[in-house]
Amino acid sequence: MARNYPRLRSGAELTGLMLEHYTRALDPGHSQPVAWVTSGAPVELLRAMDVIAVYPENLGAVYASQGAVPLCEAAEALGYNRDLCSYARISLGAVAAPELAPLGGPGRPDLLIACNNICGTVVKWFEALARQFNVPLFVLDTPFLYGDAIASHALAYVAGQLEDLIRWLERVAGRRLDRARLDEALALSNETVALWREIRYLCRARPSPLSAPDLFVTMAAIVVLRGTPEAVAFYRQLRDEATERVRLGISAVDGERFRLLWDNIAIWPRIYHFFSQFARRGACFVADTYTGAWDVEVEPGDPLESLARTYLGIFLNRSLAYRAERMAGLIREFGCDGFVMHSNRSCKPFSLGQAAARRRVAAATGVPGLLFEADMCDTRAYAEEPIANRVQAFLEALEGRAP
Amino acid sequence: MNAYLGVDIGSRTVKVILLDEEGRILARGLATAGYDGPAVAAGLVAQACAEACISPSEVAASVATGYGRGRYPGADAESSEITCHARGARHLVPDARTVIDIGGQDSKVIRLDGAGRVLDFVMNDRCAAGTGRFLEVMADALGVAVSELAALHARAERAVPVSSTCTVFAESEVISHLARGVAPADIVAGLHAAIASRVLALAERVGLEPVLTCTGGVARNAGFVSALSSAARMPVVVPDDAQFAGALGAALLALARQAERR
Repeated sequence: MARNYPRLRSGAELTGLMLEHYTRALDPGHSQPVAWVTSGAPVELLRAMDVIAVYPENLGAVYASQGAVPLCEAAEALGYNRDLCSYARISLGAVAAPELAPLGGPGRPDLLIACNNICGTVVKWFEALARQFNVPLFVLDTPFLYGDAIASHALAYVAGQLEDLIRWLERVAGRRLDRARLDEALALSNETVALWREIRYLCRARPSPLSAPDLFVTMAAIVVLRGTPEAVAFYRQLRDEATERVRLGISAVDGERFRLLWDNIAIWPRIYHFFSQFARRGACFVADTYTGAWDVEVEPGDPLESLARTYLGIFLNRSLAYRAERMAGLIREFGCDGFVMHSNRSCKPFSLGQAAARRRVAAATGVPGLLFEADMCDTRAYAEEPIANRVQAFLEALEGRAP
Repeated sequence: MNAYLGVDIGSRTVKVILLDEEGRILARGLATAGYDGPAVAAGLVAQACAEACISPSEVAASVATGYGRGRYPGADAESSEITCHARGARHLVPDARTVIDIGGQDSKVIRLDGAGRVLDFVMNDRCAAGTGRFLEVMADALGVAVSELAALHARAERAVPVSSTCTVFAESEVISHLARGVAPADIVAGLHAAIASRVLALAERVGLEPVLTCTGGVARNAGFVSALSSAARMPVVVPDDAQFAGALGAALLALARQAERR
């Protein structure tokens, strides 16, 4: 089969960065405290206090890319239901059976921070981890945003919890927060976010220099290393590489014919396999709703209020109407010919309401959308034939519409 | 003479259609797929050629569709069932805007625009409930042939609700209805209503626009079609060659591809 994805030079750089991060974080003799945190937790506070942040969700994706069904089964053997999020099952399975996990297992946390802006599952999952390791847990509660605006009481509520979080961190991590270092971490975080946005928006070019699988792989740094100089350096390099591709007219997908929007988390164990079905027919995913979740800057002003605003306003904490509108906006901005929605068995907040969103987005933009069922990590929920069949039918319908 | 071949290798049955250059049907064939659908297809193609009095070399173009399409070496091209069923149904019912196709193991709803292009489609989840296979299992439980279901339905006085959406659980439900002395005809009417409501729930995702046509093997079951029509509150057009819609669409695609090449 022809190679449909020109390799990114920056890819090797990222592998090195991630390996270095995990080697440090998983080192049993680590000198800095290690916090396990959810993807929507305010990591800038941890950077400012020299606490190492480990993201079990990212580890789940890393493990899944190497096959994580045995870890899911290890969690299921403990009684966790197969309908539970596969990141949670992989994490709990890896804690119970580290010998089954890559990189020698997930190590152990000194403290835990869960923010429910991405889902409710993280609260119970992190409570289970807290019991397992007998370490303190902080739950940051972010009210769901039903409308466009963030109510002042919601902002005050979250900012107040951030004050509590700082006091809690100072106590359990045994170090003081230096406000100047927080400003520095926020500035680095914003710089990372701005670069990430720039990279994503380079995909408005025709042909697009990158496709969703490129972004899914390279987003590891914005999740795990946001607010560090290493992340900034990495994204500068990636930005330059993508800019060069635009200048030279190098496309992510050979003979780009259709431009698509992706909704939901990637299918980690099948990432290239799945997207190659599209690439073979010249369909490139130029935009997505997932990697944009980290495209949120911390505004200037009072840092805690700005952090509260940022972490309240993330995509998954917002109404279906907002999300459908955002998708329609991306379809227009990036010139998409269609959209594909992954109904992810694991991620209920991302997947609930997709059928309704699909209708809204299709009506608003006039482009067709495909909804199919799979899972971000658990390959037992990936039905090869039915998925291939739906993808082929969708692409044939797009070809039928093409002038 | 140039002939155009469409082969639909489904999960339960294999259908083939041979067309002439004007798109007229020269021959058709249908057989149970068994465990080797592609081999069954090859046999049907040979038979169809013999029936049409043409040699296989006169087949100018061919397209395969259905779940077994990738394993059938005798076609020039393959296409998804959605594309083929849309084309076939449109040919059989030119003003169709919604196609409900219920095959052996999947059901699909296709929305067409005025020009016959696929606007939207949806297929059932990974579950055989509400498909032809579901009816086969239920007919077994009732001790009747699938072909007898329509006649039984016609004698029903009421439709006994069958609430389970799972084929295995629905079978137990049917058996317990029988044990309680419920008339088989009323159970059959209940089963047809259950499939109709399930497929209409699917149809709602893409919108149900008249003219509604029903294709696939289950469309031959008049009892189901009447249940579908009353649940959808609109007439359901069932073309004569309903079960051949996919194969016909594939053959029409072969004809169109050949015309494009010229």
